[in-house]
Amino acid sequence: MARFAMALDYKNCINCRACESACKQENGILLDKDHYRIWVGVKEIEGEFPNLSIASQAYYPSQCQHCDNAPCQQVCPTNATYYDQNGVVRINPEQCILCTYCINACPYDARYVDNRTITVDKCNFCADTRLANGETTTACQATCPTKVRIFGDLDDPNSEISQVLSKREYKQIKAGLGTKPKLFYLI
Amino acid sequence: MNEFSIKSLITFRKTPLNLLVAVIGATLLASFVAGAVYFFLHGHHAFNVTRQHPWGLLISMYVFFVVSSTGLCIISSIGHVFGIQEFQQIGKRAIAGAIITLLSGFAVISLEIGHPIRMIIYNVLTPGLTSAIWWMGTLYGVYMVFIMIEFFFLAVKVSHKWSKIFGIGGLLAGLAAHSNLGAVFGFLISRPSANGVFYPVYFILSAMITGCYLIYIFYGFRYRNEYPAHVIPMLKKLNKILGMLLGVLIFFEAWKIITALYGSMPERAETILHVIQSPTFIFGEVFLGMLIPFLIILLSNAEAIKPMVYASLTGMVGIFFMRYDLVHDTLIYPMDTLKRSDYQLPPGFIDYFPSLAEFAIGFGGIGIAIFLFYIAEKVFNLDDNGHY
Repeated sequence: MARFAMALDYKNCINCRACESACKQENGILLDKDHYRIWVGVKEIEGEFPNLSIASQAYYPSQCQHCDNAPCQQVCPTNATYYDQNGVVRINPEQCILCTYCINACPYDARYVDNRTITVDKCNFCADTRLANGETTTACQATCPTKVRIFGDLDDPNSEISQVLSKREYKQIKAGLGTKPKLFYLI
Repeated sequence: MNEFSIKSLITFRKTPLNLLVAVIGATLLASFVAGAVYFFLHGHHAFNVTRQHPWGLLISMYVFFVVSSTGLCIISSIGHVFGIQEFQQIGKRAIAGAIITLLSGFAVISLEIGHPIRMIIYNVLTPGLTSAIWWMGTLYGVYMVFIMIEFFFLAVKVSHKWSKIFGIGGLLAGLAAHSNLGAVFGFLISRPSANGVFYPVYFILSAMITGCYLIYIFYGFRYRNEYPAHVIPMLKKLNKILGMLLGVLIFFEAWKIITALYGSMPERAETILHVIQSPTFIFGEVFLGMLIPFLIILLSNAEAIKPMVYASLTGMVGIFFMRYDLVHDTLIYPMDTLKRSDYQLPPGFIDYFPSLAEFAIGFGGIGIAIFLFYIAEKVFNLDDNGHY
């Protein structure tokens, strides 16, 4: 039993999008514009030429926040969305009726309709391809050239993520909604 | 029940109005079938819904139909549940309408839900008790059983006692189901413009208004706007009820808008400011759905019956826009959290326009309702049978 989460040292992100490619390759995500589990958001440089604030530019890698209090799980009429034993928010495609209520309910736009299964899909921290084999990595984390992503068990005080979160400040996205997201953006 | 045969089912008086309704009904029914076939061939790709705007016209039309059903049930209960004499005559026609509009809504939603059979199975096996959709769907199932039995005791084996008992059950289940439908939107913490207590209450209020409009349309069509003496007092009282309900609705809407704009809360204020400038809100919801019927009632001192039949037609168009805007407005604010692309301006409000298949299926549901109502008028005697 673990409580997996991800910390993102997002200021190190160089927007190479290797994480997006790795995710698609690892999980067989289709090449459709709506089909993506993870993405890199871009905050443009502020100011007008020549007075540009280079420091204002930032890249924000993001994905499902694997909330401890996930709105998508609460609204699912058939419990197709569930928390697995590792605290990962998962979808059982056998139970998903494709009402898409969860897509409406997610404050992070992390969900989409997967044309392979005709059910809703999203990031699962590579639960099928890696966590199930005993690994504690994700494809996006393993491939990142600047080591933006730190993945691990919050319940293990010796894990890298627990150590980092105890030493550095971080922010969570839309934490005010009470969703208790488990993606931590290191400041 | 009436004596009926296949021949009696396909014969009707060929008046211009009857022919017009027959042509409209047959066209809409055919469009539903065509839309359904297209959907079965292409799946959800037949619809213009996207990751950013996952619900569309079919959800709106489902809400439109079940609002109609609940409204008819509530208004009919004034007579045969609460015992107001003049309203007892509308019981059979209103409950038949409630069943028919509910079935039409189910037909539409069954083509929107990706896996309807799976839904029936896992709604029972693994119920999501924290889901407003689960409660809404389950309670609508209970509601349907109640009103069907109620109709049986109103029109087939007449029993005032049993129709009243199942009428109360249907009314309570309908109120619970419909407010849960409002909660489907009200529970969305991700959508500040919809989140809150407003929708569960508003749904019941607008259902009652829809019920009044439909009673006017039913009676206007049944009596060709020439009413017998026993019908007029009921329709005049309905005028007053509708006037009061519209007044409350206008009051509610005004305060919803003011509170949403006040303080410029992020996402909510921008969304509502955008909404109140849209033509579907100004012309659809406000003029057609509220002001025209309200002004007729106000200016005629709640005496106008014939104009209210026409105003009810505009009112139902307005009710459609209320349902459409309900879904669309909830989803228009872009979920762009950390999701800007290179050299892209901050995204504007999300565009959505229904596909041809969505129009065919959504409005085709009206064809199903007209067709089923025609059958019901042939098979059952929906006029007052004098048992009260």
